[in-house]
Amino acid sequence: MVDTTPVARAPAAADPGPLRPPWSARALIATGLLVAAVAVTWLTFWWIGLSPASLAAGLDDTARLLRRMWPPDLPGAGDVAGMVAETLLIAVAGTGLAALASVPLAFTAARTHRGPRWLRPAARVAVVLTRAVPTLAFAILFVRIFGLGPPAGALAVAVHSVGMIAKLLADVVEEADPVPAEAARACGAGEVQVAVSTVLPRVFPALTGIVLHRLDINIRASAVLGVVGAGGIGVALQTALGSLNYHRAAGIICVIVVLVLLLELLSVAVRRRTIRHLVRHGTIRRRAVRRRSRAGRSAGDPTGTAALPAGRAPHDVGWDRGRVLRVAGAVATGMVFLVSLWSLNPDPARLSGAWPNLRSVLTGMWPPAFSGHLLMAVLESLLMALGAAAVGAACGLVLALLTAVTTTPWRPLSAVVRVLLVVVRGVPDLVYALLFVAALGLGPFAGFLALWISSTALAAKFFADSLEQLDPLPHEALTSVGARRWQAFAAGIWPQFVPSFTGNGLFVADLALRESVVLGIAGAGGVGYLMQESIATLRYDTTAAIVIAIAVVVYAIETLARVARRHLL
Amino acid sequence: MAEEPATIGDPVLRLSDVGKGFHGTTVLDGVSLDVPQGQFVALTGPSGAGKSTLLRLVNGMHLPDSGTVHTLGENPAACSRSRLRALRARVGFVFQQFGLVGRLSALENVLMGSLATLRLPRYGVMSYPRALRIRAVEHLDRVGLADRRFQRCDTLSGGQQQRVAVARTLLQSPELILADEPVASLDPAASALVLETLKRISVEDGISVVCSLHQIQLALATADRVVALRGGRLVLDEPAAGLTAERLREVYETAGTRDAQAGARDAQAGARDG
Ligand SMILES: Nc1ncnc2c1ncn2[C@@H]1O[C@H](COP(=O)(O)OP(=O)(O)O)[C@@H](O)[C@H]1O
Ligand SMILES: [Mg+2]
Repeated sequence: MVDTTPVARAPAAADPGPLRPPWSARALIATGLLVAAVAVTWLTFWWIGLSPASLAAGLDDTARLLRRMWPPDLPGAGDVAGMVAETLLIAVAGTGLAALASVPLAFTAARTHRGPRWLRPAARVAVVLTRAVPTLAFAILFVRIFGLGPPAGALAVAVHSVGMIAKLLADVVEEADPVPAEAARACGAGEVQVAVSTVLPRVFPALTGIVLHRLDINIRASAVLGVVGAGGIGVALQTALGSLNYHRAAGIICVIVVLVLLLELLSVAVRRRTIRHLVRHGTIRRRAVRRRSRAGRSAGDPTGTAALPAGRAPHDVGWDRGRVLRVAGAVATGMVFLVSLWSLNPDPARLSGAWPNLRSVLTGMWPPAFSGHLLMAVLESLLMALGAAAVGAACGLVLALLTAVTTTPWRPLSAVVRVLLVVVRGVPDLVYALLFVAALGLGPFAGFLALWISSTALAAKFFADSLEQLDPLPHEALTSVGARRWQAFAAGIWPQFVPSFTGNGLFVADLALRESVVLGIAGAGGVGYLMQESIATLRYDTTAAIVIAIAVVVYAIETLARVARRHLL
Repeated sequence: MAEEPATIGDPVLRLSDVGKGFHGTTVLDGVSLDVPQGQFVALTGPSGAGKSTLLRLVNGMHLPDSGTVHTLGENPAACSRSRLRALRARVGFVFQQFGLVGRLSALENVLMGSLATLRLPRYGVMSYPRALRIRAVEHLDRVGLADRRFQRCDTLSGGQQQRVAVARTLLQSPELILADEPVASLDPAASALVLETLKRISVEDGISVVCSLHQIQLALATADRVVALRGGRLVLDEPAAGLTAERLREVYETAGTRDAQAGARDAQAGARDG
């Protein structure tokens, strides 16, 4: 029943020309990624021996474990406060140290760097290496060097975060307008002066945002550092699970989830405030200043100083509400940071003992000892992560379609799924891994399930967010064409969604991989177990090989994701 | 799917005493309008006058609070979901912001106009039957863009994008085309070209067009008939021939009966157009 109406006469047909679109790099990459995802998923299923029967048995065992955990046994309020405080202090101290160290590192690693030629590659290697090795891997190493306790944890947080913050900050530095720097150089300023007085002020707001976001991530990370003995609330979780006290373990997991949920609420509130702040100060205030200075100039005052508040000398900055708040905020932040450093209270005797440890670790690392066994373990981590990310992206897409306000079939369902996803994301991957290992036994199956759950929740959130940002007009236009619901989705929404689907999917894979290499700490398969074992048995050459292998694989996946994203946009 | 084929002389569109409001405010108030086949109607009026609302009532994207709408012999308010879809397939709608998927080629966007005649969801040019692809290229040719068929729409100029949107509408084989400020975001030359294209189609195929427009000169130059809305009421309905720009401008400038803000917005809009 194509076109029965005679009204629109089709023009006489000559040769219509080509009707098949030429293959584009975009289409090839998209198809290639899809094929790769299916192949990897299949390979993963085969590797871990996943079948409907094993999955059903696994669910059964998990349900039994959950029944054994019920009811949760909460520790006393004082204990909870102590553990939570220690977790927060580790995160604050680590993030603060990283923020301080990342500024010079970012300026050195940025493409705009003008110092000695060899410095920039060195800085980039430092950034890539610290970014690629997860906090928990550093924690295992630092516990060995500095002993059990929060200082090792804070240092692990700091070292991993240095790379993370410096990478983002270097991007901002590279994007900063070069003209003011040129002008300062023309005045005879040195390179450090140029950086401090023309670039730093402009990247400072971005730095604040990056550091706050990192703090958020680091608090979540600090909650599980205790599993390797690096302090925080994870110590209690490890103790409870180690002594098979599942009620207590459940209680501590509840505390972690509540902590993370509170953090989520706080960060949403802060983000709202900053947006409002930007609106107020970015547009309205600038306009007011312009108006004021124009008024001053027009009244025969060429410098516009009359526009300044009365009673303030032109050379005096003076105090107004905004400046008081800014300075007070900076002082308070500094105090909190100092308190966190002081509270970690590194024992001097232990610190002096750290030097020989550090020396033996560093000398023991050379030459790195690669082995087939090790590479298989890395491959297992990779398969667990990519398979879980692929399955998680598929499940996450379904959940996102249910939650996004533009596609949900029923609003109340959207709200329920949304809350559920926040709670699921509140539990760290390592905790899922510990639970699945307790329920199903050691092996990659437990790790795969843990990563699957977290990837699904993460992907659902990313997808729902980007679905809501798409242009709704094509969908509306197709509805007015008379298209069915699914047709309007496939033609009007899906093509717009492909780049962010692929980009976010690859990002989820990237995050899953970083988790996957440490899940072995819980016995959930992959290279993490070997890493812990190599350090326990003082085989630092193996440790070095593992760290290098992890860095290479993580960097490769990240690069692949970046290239694919760029070509798909 | 019409109950009976529309005969020449029957109005393609009939609004009888239509009223519509949102959250307690009245947007359209007692509007009656008949549009015969083949007529090009320019719908003018200041922003907020209710032009978009009127057009959306015609293809059932809004339903009237009072009065009745008859589009191609159907009453959208009384239609089932599938019947409404069938009605929409017979009515082309051109949006101010085009409603194209920017990442896809011009050809694929045009092909989407045929979705109502197809059953399954489609993605990619090759998922459409060859016969439809041939027709889509013909329509692209009609709007002068056949050589751009595989170009991404977000790399086309605004005027070209709007012509792609017109070609998409043509693939529907519409019996009526509604255009909601199709040239409001285009420069004067592109505006003239898009309206000329719409007008040519209207004349050659005998399709009625109802097109809301801000620019008085364009309305007078293109339309057979000019209708003006103000504050939700029909305040002018005359053949374009014989209507002067001064007389039409009066409609914009007369103080509204209920909406002083519309006057202010109107002045702003006028300044933007100028
Ligand atoms: N979906 C809606 N919900 C609430 N108010 C609406 C809606 N659509 C239009 N309106 C209101 O109806 C009035 C007329 O709008 P519209 O038909 O878009 O005018 P025009 O297209 O002539 O500029 C405006 O005041 C607008 O705010
Ligand atoms: Mg409008």
